[in-house]
Amino acid sequence: MASFGKVLCGTLFTNPCLRVLSRSIGASKCYLNQSKIINNLHIQTCTAPVAGAGSSRWYSNTTAASRLSMIEVETRVLKTVMRHYSVKPPMTIEQIKKRVLLVLQLYDKVNPDKLSLESHFINDLGLDSLDHVEVIMAIEDEFGFEIPDEDAEKLHRPKDIVQYVCDREDIYD
Amino acid sequence: MAASVTRAEVLKIYKTMLRESGKFSFYNYRMYAIRRVRDAFREQKAVNDKSKIQQHLLEAHKFLNIIKRQVIVGDLYKFDKLVIEVENNEKH
Repeated sequence: MASFGKVLCGTLFTNPCLRVLSRSIGASKCYLNQSKIINNLHIQTCTAPVAGAGSSRWYSNTTAASRLSMIEVETRVLKTVMRHYSVKPPMTIEQIKKRVLLVLQLYDKVNPDKLSLESHFINDLGLDSLDHVEVIMAIEDEFGFEIPDEDAEKLHRPKDIVQYVCDREDIYD
Repeated sequence: MAASVTRAEVLKIYKTMLRESGKFSFYNYRMYAIRRVRDAFREQKAVNDKSKIQQHLLEAHKFLNIIKRQVIVGDLYKFDKLVIEVENNEKH
């Protein structure tokens, strides 16, 4: 059986797709090889039409695509914003840290020089409880969800806010 | 400092008032309301007397209702956005 396969391979099958078939005859006992055939056949069928597309033009010379340079096309196409109405863009902890710090820097009573992830709002930054409420509101506006009062009370440092937002958005690293 | 229950209550109404003030569609009213709420709460920050705090709290509730009502009334009359607002939106 094996030798028959080899003969077939050498003489009859010149097409690469069929050559795969011949190899399968040679080792028909092996199941692993069978899966390989399927893979190979799949690749063949996939690549065939693409090769055809390369040889012939699908568009005329006068269409916009041929008149624009590749860079122009790329800048236009890649700039197109895809809108996901139910899926938010992915966030990382680093991004959240940056956004939290930016929000805090923009708050007029916070001194940006003293601000760090570890600084305590009331003790280090000199805010009172009313300012704290405003800070929490700014964070709510930034990330687009509401923080209940009970949770807001516990957020004393920017670090706590970052952690809270991460928990809320299911981001773990 | 007020009792802890009242403290949370005060902070809560402060937040609610700011949120409601932000809903004014007309820029001048919105900014005035937010500024007025902030100033009013800070003015009375040092008040210690419980009965006075209670009194201020009732007043705050009254003004909260006024704000809510006026936001709705304001929505009945459409204004064009001010020049400053439009510019702000384009920047963001």
